[in-house]
Amino acid sequence: MDYSPLLLSLKVAAISTFIVFLAGVFIAYLLAKRDFFGKSILEALFLLPLVLPPTVVGFGLLILFGKKGWIGSWLLEWFDLQIVFTWIGAVIASIVVSFPLMYQSAAAAFEGLDERLSNAARTMGASEWRVFWSVVFPLAWPGLVAGLVLSFARGLGEFGATLMIAGYIPGKTDTIPMAIYFAVESGQMEKATFWVIIIITFGFSLILWVNWWSKRNIRRFTRT
Amino acid sequence: MLNVQFLKQLAHYEMDIQFEMKAEILVLVGPSGSGKTTILNTVAGLVHPDSGTIVSKDRVFFQSDEKPLPARDRQIGYLFQDYALFPHMTVEKNIWYGVKKKQQKESVATIQQLLHVLGIEHLLQKFPHQISGGEKQRVGLARALAAQPSVLLLDEPLSALDKETRQQCQDELLRLHEIWQIPFIIVTHDLDEAERLGDRIIYLDKGHIVREERKKYLVSAY
Amino acid sequence: MKRFYLLALFVMLSVLLVGCADEEPEKVDSTVKNSPATDKQPAKEVELLISAAASLTDALEDMKATYEEQHEGVTLTYNFGSSGKLSTNIENGAPSDVFLSASSKDMNDMEDKGLIVEGSRADFTSNVLVLIANKESDSTITSFEEIDPSTIDYFAVGEPETVPVGRYTKEMFEHLNLWESLQDKLVRGSDVRQVLTHVEMGNADYGVVYSSDAFISNDVKVLAESNPDWHAPIVYPGAVVEASEHKEAAQQFLDYLTSDVGKEALQQFGFK
Repeated sequence: MDYSPLLLSLKVAAISTFIVFLAGVFIAYLLAKRDFFGKSILEALFLLPLVLPPTVVGFGLLILFGKKGWIGSWLLEWFDLQIVFTWIGAVIASIVVSFPLMYQSAAAAFEGLDERLSNAARTMGASEWRVFWSVVFPLAWPGLVAGLVLSFARGLGEFGATLMIAGYIPGKTDTIPMAIYFAVESGQMEKATFWVIIIITFGFSLILWVNWWSKRNIRRFTRT
Repeated sequence: MLNVQFLKQLAHYEMDIQFEMKAEILVLVGPSGSGKTTILNTVAGLVHPDSGTIVSKDRVFFQSDEKPLPARDRQIGYLFQDYALFPHMTVEKNIWYGVKKKQQKESVATIQQLLHVLGIEHLLQKFPHQISGGEKQRVGLARALAAQPSVLLLDEPLSALDKETRQQCQDELLRLHEIWQIPFIIVTHDLDEAERLGDRIIYLDKGHIVREERKKYLVSAY
Repeated sequence: MKRFYLLALFVMLSVLLVGCADEEPEKVDSTVKNSPATDKQPAKEVELLISAAASLTDALEDMKATYEEQHEGVTLTYNFGSSGKLSTNIENGAPSDVFLSASSKDMNDMEDKGLIVEGSRADFTSNVLVLIANKESDSTITSFEEIDPSTIDYFAVGEPETVPVGRYTKEMFEHLNLWESLQDKLVRGSDVRQVLTHVEMGNADYGVVYSSDAFISNDVKVLAESNPDWHAPIVYPGAVVEASEHKEAAQQFLDYLTSDVGKEALQQFGFK
């Protein structure tokens, strides 16, 4: 049995979750409590990957990141970096499909914060950086964790768009969902079951752990 | 000491405010929506007027056509309505939040005194949700004063308290003002409270100052 | 074209309306009035449900109008999908008159289970594997034997376990002793469309698909054709479904496909 899909899946999901978390939190905070023309259009655009069929997302990514794509050709020329058919492609697919979940959670978490708390910090001489890290971030943390967990789960299970941009190259770009898909399609039920159990075990225990950890660390923050 | 003069267009009217004050207690009264809190926010730098000047001592907070001094550089103490204590920090952390690293040593004595005057020394390790409304109000006051502000703004500081605690806190406010000797601007809708606390009372309606009274007239009126 | 749709919609609506209007009086004495009506209908109007492999889509759609014109009273309704899925559907009772498969394996299964009419099975067309490259590719290869794995970054094929074209591709490359050396370069698509997409967008240097698939893409060029000796014959077997209510009309359609006229129609779309 080849265990590379497990390592690859964890690597892809972890890296994409990390990037999605940073980007989601940053963009959501930037847009929170700010109103400008076209904000709802921008937000709808962020959520688009949620409603689009995976193959459409995958095709869009190919257009952007393909060897002849807008971004892909540029990366290839300047950095000799190929996205298509590599694990980086899988990371990008994961990022695109899990970003909406992170953004939504983070935006809701920031919207729900009492603006006066940040203002209180400002009147006490806190820089915007300190306001964010000492007040906004810890108070929004439960909502951010929810987004983090969802993003990781989504990244771990991503299949459709990944198959298109990362291709299926056993030993190089085969994530667990791909291994499951091709095992089922070719009737290798034993192999499929094995990977299903693995992905459930890892996904479930990771989510369980994050939930438990954040509850333990956040209990004292909540008011009640 | 504090010179405020500004115009600001709001949704339903234009605010036109002008007053000057020494290290006294100025009370703003008026119906809700008359712009009381907006005046506090303007002085604090949380919102900015359309034009005018706001000067504290010799420091320019706001001047038309110039970049306004950000809230964090104004050295303002602000007690928000409902106090806005940080729920995830202990009382001690809340109070020390605004004290700069460099000033920590010299602040120890001041804060010790504050805690003593307000009688909240025993609450330091508690979280905001573990203390009563009156205690929260005192912690909020201590936090607003801990960084040694040049102006103290209080938005409905006593409205959430029951009658008994309220009277006690009014006395504390007056005592603190005596010790601190800086401009206090208090927003309230309670006329009795305004008369008990204020050296001056400004009556507001729709963003305009409609009347102003001084303590001596008040006293003589009784 | 728009007018045509509108007209069709209008006709459909009026049929519906008339149908509704008729229903009321019929209820009074339904047994008497209904029986002659149902007896007449099959002879007059036949809707043939044809479950066909997805690769036949364009060819069959093109054939539809001509066939219906020549066979009055017959309408063709297609249901395209992968051969495996279609056979499962039919097995599960999905209505179907003709089954056109892209793989003998699926047809064998159906035959073993008695789901098709005995003796109706016939191979109506076949395909060959072709080596394709992007139409802008400057590759000078003209045969499969010239493939040099060391000069290739990515080679798109169908997944050999699950996609029929992949199975034949693997067979061919094994025959040519290229399968092992190409291993790291093979990007395995979950269907033919993906293989085409990878080559069309220039992400894979080469790909292998059926000649009929290469035919429908404007962005690839065919560099070489496979030799039929290198892999099992790629034939398309068709048969009348046992559960069909229009076996006669179904057999007629199948005969048409295997006739010279039908074969020619298919060859226009890259079939052999």
